[in-house]
Amino acid sequence: MQHFVKLRLRAVSLFLQVQRGAPIPARIFITALVAGVGLLAASPAAFAHTADRGFVMLLPTGYYLFGGAAAVALSFAVLVVMPPVALAVLFATRLRLVARPIDGRLFTSTISFLVVASIWYAGLFGSRDPLSNPLPLVFWTVFWVGFTLVVGLRGNLWRWLEPWYGPSRLILKAIGRADAPPPLKLPERMGHAGALVLLLGFGWFELVYPSPDDPALLAKVLIAYWLFNLAGILAFGHEAWTARIELFSVLYSMIGRLAPFQREADSDGRQALFLRFPGGALEKAPPLPRGATLFLLLALATVSFDGLMRTFFWLSLVGVNPLEFPGRSAVVFANTVGLAGIFSALSALFVFAVWLGNRIAGSTASLATSCGLLVWSILPIALAYHFSHYLGVLVINGQYALAAISDPLSNGWNIFGTAGFHVAAAATAGYDAAWIIWNLQSAAIIGGHLIAVMIAHALAFRIYGSARQAALSQIPLAILMVGYTVFGLWLLSSPTGG
Amino acid sequence: MADKRTSLLLPKKQGLTRRGALKGLGAAAGIMAAPGFVRYAQTQSSEPIRIGFQAHRTGIGAAYGRWYERVTMAATQAINDAGGINGRPLEIVTEDDGTDPKRGAEVVEKFANQHKTDVVFGTLFSHVVVGSAPAAGELKIPYYVVSEGYHVASGSLNRYVFQPGITDVKAQVRAVGPWIADNLGKKITLVFPDYAFGHDHRDKFPERYEAAGGQVVGLVPIPPTETSFTRYFPQIPSETEVIYHVMVGPGVLTFVKELGEFYGSSGPKLFGFLDSLEAVDIASPGLEFLEGSHFWEAMPRYLQPDASDAAKAYRAAVGIDDNGASVNDPKDVSTASHMFGCWETLHIIKQAMEAAGYQGPADRAKLVEATEALTSFAAGAAHPQGDKVFNAKIHQSFGHQHVSQVVDGKLNVVHTTSIEDGMYEAEADYTTMPL
Repeated sequence: MQHFVKLRLRAVSLFLQVQRGAPIPARIFITALVAGVGLLAASPAAFAHTADRGFVMLLPTGYYLFGGAAAVALSFAVLVVMPPVALAVLFATRLRLVARPIDGRLFTSTISFLVVASIWYAGLFGSRDPLSNPLPLVFWTVFWVGFTLVVGLRGNLWRWLEPWYGPSRLILKAIGRADAPPPLKLPERMGHAGALVLLLGFGWFELVYPSPDDPALLAKVLIAYWLFNLAGILAFGHEAWTARIELFSVLYSMIGRLAPFQREADSDGRQALFLRFPGGALEKAPPLPRGATLFLLLALATVSFDGLMRTFFWLSLVGVNPLEFPGRSAVVFANTVGLAGIFSALSALFVFAVWLGNRIAGSTASLATSCGLLVWSILPIALAYHFSHYLGVLVINGQYALAAISDPLSNGWNIFGTAGFHVAAAATAGYDAAWIIWNLQSAAIIGGHLIAVMIAHALAFRIYGSARQAALSQIPLAILMVGYTVFGLWLLSSPTGG
Repeated sequence: MADKRTSLLLPKKQGLTRRGALKGLGAAAGIMAAPGFVRYAQTQSSEPIRIGFQAHRTGIGAAYGRWYERVTMAATQAINDAGGINGRPLEIVTEDDGTDPKRGAEVVEKFANQHKTDVVFGTLFSHVVVGSAPAAGELKIPYYVVSEGYHVASGSLNRYVFQPGITDVKAQVRAVGPWIADNLGKKITLVFPDYAFGHDHRDKFPERYEAAGGQVVGLVPIPPTETSFTRYFPQIPSETEVIYHVMVGPGVLTFVKELGEFYGSSGPKLFGFLDSLEAVDIASPGLEFLEGSHFWEAMPRYLQPDASDAAKAYRAAVGIDDNGASVNDPKDVSTASHMFGCWETLHIIKQAMEAAGYQGPADRAKLVEATEALTSFAAGAAHPQGDKVFNAKIHQSFGHQHVSQVVDGKLNVVHTTSIEDGMYEAEADYTTMPL
């Protein structure tokens, strides 16, 4: 415990040092801006909310940081002494649930498009209040936060629900080109660069852009995104485009592989639904190409930065008084640099850990292949952190969403009978809620890292062939994961102001 | 349709929400659509008065924004139920400013040019007020804020900005000084966050406290980035009889806990500003050390035995229980010391519009003058927090403040200041600025 108190103190002194020294241009700019506002506001009523994080700060979070690190480290140690076949058996174990359902994507995707379009309409013409208009709530909370978790649990349902398959098929049928090959071919050299750029843009819009919740603006952005992808699908074909460009298709096809529910062929070659260990299906996953590897690392970097950018640590680093957050528009530059920085740092650390592992194991396996396989182990961490980080949003804004969908245009409708739903906005407030949420978050973070270590270990065995080499190769990555466990828990327990 | 909603999901009370206000609107729209309706003659008298509500729906102000929204909708409902403004219903147009000054200015512009609201209203956070005020001045749209900051009264804004519904922090701080000197102790140490907010308390508190025979014996500024406070406590002089604390942010709970660990059962008396713990349950674990200590409150969070009928009616209308939490959710503690300002400000807008014979945006200058012609507000249904004196020169109201003691984890009012306790000489005169 004491050690972690020290660790915390060190982190505090670190950012105080940074505050004192090392002038960064962004910092100066922001400091000037804040000082300017401060001068004008002769007497600002400052209400940095005591909030829920205050209660978390009262909890013995240091024990959790230590315990989490120990658990992840220990799991690695166990895997080292365990025969590789044990993990292979665990990952191969599956329980057949139901036979394959009928392929009705044309129908589900078209229905999905109609629902999506009606929510766009509400975004454009409904309430200007982002907590009354269904669009920001449905997109950010129900879809981005909630649906992503559903995919992690149930598999890639996005294949069924994405709003392009149906409309694009109908258009192609209407112009008599339903069976014709797509007019253009995506250059192979592009790889997953398109998806990577789109995810970067999405992350920037979510975390850095000042008003991602503005209903009308969000509607325009989403309509433009839909049209862009529709055009791409018509030009390059649905399969190629959704495999390499459309970011949610790319992301969810990856996350779906983590799900304990998997639709796959049984021993007779018939498709069926199976229940298996989370991530078990990844053991047979192909190595990801370079762009897709970076894509997955960016997914983790994005959600990590969403936590980091609110901490006192980060705000101090960019010269913002955490008790007097000046608003997103004042930190656009700093947070753009931060998002790019954490992505670069995480990618560099990951590649370095894999490279070092290759060296230690004396392996001749190519670095790109090793990275492309081992990056799958990032997936459970990203999903665990997604759950932990957005748990509060899901609980509160999920309720607002429930109320908003009943009265999408704020004109007094009550479609689902939930329009007057009283939002229990304090569901995450107070000591008891903070305790429950913190424990759920910790369990998810630690669990995610445990699964990650197991997946990495199984994949390493695939790469290196021998148990000894696999174990040796995993030492650097295991250290990185222990470190990331502590980082994740620290993000969720350190004071926030942004 | 509205009635159905009460069935399953609203166990107790509908609570007055956006929907309630919208219902009022629907009725108004119904009148307009009635057969035989002479549109020309009626246009001016039955079209809604549009209030642009600059709301902190996202960003750091969201927790406060939620209660500001609830109270705004409740007040709109109350005004509409009582016949609206000059017979015209109020319509609230909400725009989220993200608790961001740049967006705040954009929102004001949107209200003036796109939504064509009659006024802009409801801003809490000071930096958003300061960022938005120039836009309101340029677009000549009256801007009624509810932020309790001193920036309006300081004269640094412009003629279109008003703060008539809530006392500013300078007056609040001054008002409690004499009572502390007379009742808690004559030697005080101020513990405050080391930036503008804390500096206001440091600079504006001593005058009246010292005039009453008190002496500030220690100043303990705490860096805003600090999350552990024990090492600052030795700076509190041993002769200190009272510690005045105004810590804010997520570290407040840790601050109180560590203060308790430092002093144990003895130690100086404590006086705090409830800003530290707005929307936080005083009976929370970690806050035990506050038992017996005193706080400033603008409006009592807990229902007091001597509460006026107006205060009770207000509490029922905005949906808070005897503990100041939502009637639908006892954990959802309100921002009682600030949100009443939304209720009172909307009623003041009504009063000023009726006095000005306000018809539409062309009368905005008349509305400014009519607001400046107001001098006082009587306690009652429109002003449940109590009576107020309005100083037109600085566009600022002055009201009573309360000193409350924590007893059994609840706040009991032990003293109510006079309006004069907080008043100060006007340091500016907006009325001389051109319209």
